[in-house]
Amino acid sequence: MSSNVVTFTPDSHLRDPGTKHVPGESGVWVLIFGDMLIFSVFFITYALHRGDDVDLYRRSQTHLNQAFGILMTFLMLSGSWFVANAVQAARAQRRALSAKLFRCGFACGLFFGIIKFFEYSGKVRHGITPSTNNFFMYYYLFTGIHLLHVVVGMVVIAVLSSYVQKGTVDARKIRNIESGALFWHVVDLLWIVLFALFYIAV
Amino acid sequence: MENAKFNARSQLICVWCGILCPIFLFTGLWPAMGFIPPLNPAASAAEIAAIFQNNTNGIRLGTIFIMLAGAFYAPFTAVIAAQMRRIEDGPTPVLTYAQLAAGAASCLLFIIPALAWTDAAFRPDRPAEITQAFNDLAWIFVVMPFVLAEVQNICFGAVIISDRRQNPLFPRWLGFFNFWIALSFIPGGLTTFFKTGPFAYNGLLAFWVPAGTFGPWFIVICVYLIKAIRRQDAERA
Repeated sequence: MSSNVVTFTPDSHLRDPGTKHVPGESGVWVLIFGDMLIFSVFFITYALHRGDDVDLYRRSQTHLNQAFGILMTFLMLSGSWFVANAVQAARAQRRALSAKLFRCGFACGLFFGIIKFFEYSGKVRHGITPSTNNFFMYYYLFTGIHLLHVVVGMVVIAVLSSYVQKGTVDARKIRNIESGALFWHVVDLLWIVLFALFYIAV
Repeated sequence: MENAKFNARSQLICVWCGILCPIFLFTGLWPAMGFIPPLNPAASAAEIAAIFQNNTNGIRLGTIFIMLAGAFYAPFTAVIAAQMRRIEDGPTPVLTYAQLAAGAASCLLFIIPALAWTDAAFRPDRPAEITQAFNDLAWIFVVMPFVLAEVQNICFGAVIISDRRQNPLFPRWLGFFNFWIALSFIPGGLTTFFKTGPFAYNGLLAFWVPAGTFGPWFIVICVYLIKAIRRQDAERA
């Protein structure tokens, strides 16, 4: 493990297509696949219960604001774009740019949270709560647990934006930055599935 | 030298307590009490009372096992703290302390539900609603207080990842594994809103997913604790 770190240079995998580079460290993938496993259980549970009462779910889905959903998807994807570019900038030793891009990713997360707040509060004002029906129970809980992930991801990104500026970017630092960025991409990926499940009525 | 040997042995005994803990918990819950799968929170008070009337002594016996599981959790928490302390070796090992404090409190998450169930089985012929209330209290104590596990797992994981030595005491993935376990417990915290569905205290996400990650967590942690203790012993020799 430690010998890998010594021979690894930030962009070695880009120059030599023959060597495969696993982003981040292997350990962080335990968390990522584990988290995706739990969310898969969420999604399968939802799909099975939806099958029991498709009409109710379809009717309930029309109450969700698709414009909000699309805007939040846009913010998640933009956030990932900023974070991916921040990692590239860090690899190229452009530390100030990298920090700036991380902060842009953070802003995407912040706007996402603000929209979610308005979305939830609008629903509650219309008397739609988790106890309204099963669809809204899943909607509030799954998007709520996802929102918790967004907050954790924002903390990670905020830490990275100052971490990348402290001293030169060596292989170890790249590994840590990649690990943190990966978590953000998972948050994005999970949202894409949530968006498809809840907002796109079929 | 003799003392060091003795310490390694005490630590290994603590690890074995960590293996006995889930075994005693499971023995109490399943063969003795018949509480796997969990009781249904949507069941009527009369149905719950009937369960406590029909298996009164089985439930009483099971609660003793669960109480013992709670006792075994204390040394297990202590040996985790001792090994964390080797990594977090400054004058202020706060994450080690936080893990120890949360683990100490977690012992009560075995003992309190056991006593609530025992209370329900203590006078099984009283009004059904009282039995139901104590049964609900016990299940909610089992499923809902995920927060203590969060503190334990996040502190342990953070310390593992912060290990800067050439050959870390625990593999780094074990740190991330701890974070994942912490995540898997979150849905239980929402059980207060539900009597049916996946978030109810007999539900897939509130009970079965955490139950499914809790068992493997003990095994994996125990294996790596034993490795760390053996290494400590070898380093001292």
